[in-house]
Amino acid sequence: MNMHKLKLLAGSALVGVVLAATPVAAANPGTPTWQPKVSERLVKLPPAYMKKSLDRDFARSALGQAVQDIEREIALKTQTLADLQRATEQADGDVLIELKHQFLAEKRGYLDLMQQKQDMQRKQVATRHRVLEKLLAKLNRKSGGLNPARQKLVDQQSAARQRFNASASKVDMNLFAEQDLPESKYSREYGKNLQAIQSLVAAIKSHPMNSQGALDGDDISKPEYVRRMVADAEAELALIDQESQILGFMAKIVALDAMVLSEEIADSDYADSDVTEPNDITNVVNLFVNN
Amino acid sequence: MSFHTKLRHLAIAAAAAASIALVSTTPANAGSVENLERERAMVLQAILMPDLGPDERVSKIGASQRRLIDLERIVLRDDSLTGRATPAVRKAFANYDLTFLMHAATEKKMLLVDNWFTAMGLTTQSIMATRTGPR
Repeated sequence: MNMHKLKLLAGSALVGVVLAATPVAAANPGTPTWQPKVSERLVKLPPAYMKKSLDRDFARSALGQAVQDIEREIALKTQTLADLQRATEQADGDVLIELKHQFLAEKRGYLDLMQQKQDMQRKQVATRHRVLEKLLAKLNRKSGGLNPARQKLVDQQSAARQRFNASASKVDMNLFAEQDLPESKYSREYGKNLQAIQSLVAAIKSHPMNSQGALDGDDISKPEYVRRMVADAEAELALIDQESQILGFMAKIVALDAMVLSEEIADSDYADSDVTEPNDITNVVNLFVNN
Repeated sequence: MSFHTKLRHLAIAAAAAASIALVSTTPANAGSVENLERERAMVLQAILMPDLGPDERVSKIGASQRRLIDLERIVLRDDSLTGRATPAVRKAFANYDLTFLMHAATEKKMLLVDNWFTAMGLTTQSIMATRTGPR
């Protein structure tokens, strides 16, 4: 067995053993991070803008940059794999074995990169999930958190306003038409301002920046939007876990391929060697019988 | 003007507009309930003052009616009072008939005075049924 083949054999076996033993290795502790803050500004932003703000913050972070870098590396590695596959189809003999070995090594490199990318993605989505949970808690604290006494007051205020709105025109009719009371300055100005406010509210409602809270055609509240974003983040995490399983299976296939390659190399080496077939005693029986 | 300068100007304009929007949503009528209470107290004083003659009483109550309507409406439309659980606000919304005297009375087609007495549970029968005695 020549030295080169021995090296290839050892390399293939090592690739197989490493991949089979650790299909999904632990994340490197030195990986870059993303640490967004749940600021008051974020809470006040329109829902869709909130998402964009988080995305932009991530893209500017060290983790975001690292994900972009690794995406580029993966694209290059994919190209290398495609080139090697094409070259393997046309090669034979020792070159074929050499190319097969390179192909396996590059596959392993690709899986390593994918694993790093998945770790980073998991980190990103988990951070986003955590931020959104905090944001939701903050929004809930702002909008809700009513104790029974405050809730009672809010109910009474709501009932009073309903009663007033239901009877306001009747009261106006009675006071101004029947009792001939002069209309006050407040009453006149209020009516005028109300029209202006209504037209402005309509303009705000139809403003594209404001209507970005709509999701799947539904006009939803900010806490509801954030709740859906939390659910999306959870779904993303589940998908990353599934992709990690796919990566594990890919690693297993590479390990099996490596074992096949090492077997092929060992077989061909054995065939080329001077090792003789074991002698069968029946072959020499004639030498003894015919004398 | 460079792209970055334009972008900065746009960001400043957006921030300025946002701060105006925030300022405009701050409560403008922080003392609306207190104002209504003062006017309401004056009307009740006119109702209960024993040394007022009937004409003078009617004229005093009539003079307050217009202001009372406006002040009641200011309180009912004041969004800044929503959920503000101060004693004054809690008391004001605890009984519509006693706080929003003019609106409750007009709604029931009653005089302001009659509406107040009814809301307080003071009817002719109940007053006639009272007896003097030690407290």
